[in-house]
Amino acid sequence: MRLPVLLAALVAVATCTETFVGHQVLRVVPKSDEDLQKVQELQALEHLQLDFWLAPRGLGVPVDIRVPFPSVQPVKAHLEAAGVSYSIMIEDLQALVDEEQMEMLRSSRQLPLDTNTFNYASYHSLDEIYTFMDLLVAENPNLVSKLEIGRSTENRPLYVLKFSTGGTNRPAIWIDTGIHSREWVTQASGVWFAKKIVQDHANNEGVASILETMDIFLEIVTNPDGFAFTHTKNRLWRKTRSKHSGSICVGVDPNRNWDAGFGEAGASANPCTETYHGPYPNSEPEVKSIVDFVKSHGNIKAFISIHSYSQLLLYPYGYKTAPAPDQQELHELSAKAVAALSSLYGTKYTYGSIITTIYRASGGTIDWTYDQGIKYSFTFELRDTGRYGFLLPAKQIIPTAEETWLGLKVIMEHARDNMY
Amino acid sequence: DIDDVGHKYYLELELEDVLDKGRTVSCTAEVLYHLGSKSSAPDVQATVQGELRSTQEADQEFYNRIRSLEKELVAENIPDSHGNVPPELEPIHLLAWAASGYVIWQNSTENTKFHLAQVKHVKQVKRTDEDLQFDYVLLLHEMVSQEVAPWEVTVLWHPQRGARV
Repeated sequence: MRLPVLLAALVAVATCTETFVGHQVLRVVPKSDEDLQKVQELQALEHLQLDFWLAPRGLGVPVDIRVPFPSVQPVKAHLEAAGVSYSIMIEDLQALVDEEQMEMLRSSRQLPLDTNTFNYASYHSLDEIYTFMDLLVAENPNLVSKLEIGRSTENRPLYVLKFSTGGTNRPAIWIDTGIHSREWVTQASGVWFAKKIVQDHANNEGVASILETMDIFLEIVTNPDGFAFTHTKNRLWRKTRSKHSGSICVGVDPNRNWDAGFGEAGASANPCTETYHGPYPNSEPEVKSIVDFVKSHGNIKAFISIHSYSQLLLYPYGYKTAPAPDQQELHELSAKAVAALSSLYGTKYTYGSIITTIYRASGGTIDWTYDQGIKYSFTFELRDTGRYGFLLPAKQIIPTAEETWLGLKVIMEHARDNMY
Repeated sequence: DIDDVGHKYYLELELEDVLDKGRTVSCTAEVLYHLGSKSSAPDVQATVQGELRSTQEADQEFYNRIRSLEKELVAENIPDSHGNVPPELEPIHLLAWAASGYVIWQNSTENTKFHLAQVKHVKQVKRTDEDLQFDYVLLLHEMVSQEVAPWEVTVLWHPQRGARV
């Protein structure tokens, strides 16, 4: 398609002197000889400085015109007065050029030099995210450390970032993203959260007060084998990549593999399905490593596992209809968290227990953590509600992360203020 | 509950135009899920209160553009992994949405929730009559089972006659 070539040329120019701020690209499809004539008239008006990307060629064939900012109004007026319809292909050319420039920098294998130049508004590979983690630690050695809590089936390291201002085994908050590998907005949000925690601490605002008395653990790529697979082979892969004897099918649903109602209704015993619970609880190293970590830490007070999509905030249980003993408190806390989340961009969330809000699901993460005594156990399902689903446009990453963070803060602050 | 027949739902919906956010229109519908049979689509009656925006011009422009292509249109992975849809493929994406609506209706029960996950592949097939024909492979995601299954869907479309699946 012609567009990238043209944009590349524009980028080359833009990096020198010219700017395209406010320039628009209009498309006219002449439907009559009169239309054609009107467009050709425009071509003759040199003072407008129009740049025809697609010159007039005939009826029914698009004419694309780059219109410099000062000429935008006059050109539109000229077309409208003559009854020639047009559409705005590009509303702000400079924005597109900037985006393309960043894209090109990225794709030319230039790894970010620091977490300030990292592109939070795009999706990254596993290597890029692991590099980001190392950069964050290197830049903030007194706040952030990287723990390896285990290895995946394909022997990839399972990394958790620890944010701590000191103390010994302080009460802690756990957040994980990317347990289902195709839910890309979650890993991307996790990266943003990591940077946000560091920024808040540096500016002594936001979660800085939480960090005075609590630690935060963040596992950004909870299922790295699956994540790598979504980049190389199948963008819609959900499970782990384990092979258990007796089946040609690969992978276990890591959110059905926990020891809470394991194997009961709400999971599948068929290895070829997306909700296969695995041969036994914690068969998946991705799950076992978290189980071991939580048990040996012993002081986690809030556990939040992040998924997409559906725009939901959920608390236990998924494996049974009996309400959780803390149901009322969790329900009220959910209401507050959702209100905070919605306050930013108006994004609508529904909340409730897993089983009453989405479906019965057994062997799930937060059912296990709750039954371990971690009262504030929640699952988020982030944007959207199905229009893009798993393939959420990258430009929604930061708004999603920003609003989710507000909801997370409500939960974290409540945990801090209601120690148990 | 309707004895020996099935379950009937009375719905009041608000439809939002994704291409013109803020523009909503009310709709009422009755949906009857038949008892037992998994092979029968639910009965649907729907009434739109108010007017839908006219898309005549855009429809005609799209129709002309596709008809004037020298080579048949072929595309895959819409949106791509990063959620991008090139502007010229947006109508193809929207048509896939409409077609997926039909497939979803035909395969829905009270225990399913489908969405179009991705257009895996689309190929235009030139016709001697006035319709446009697109052969799609659509990936439908079902929420309860979490399965993503491919569906081969042939869509005929014409600006005045609309879409047929």
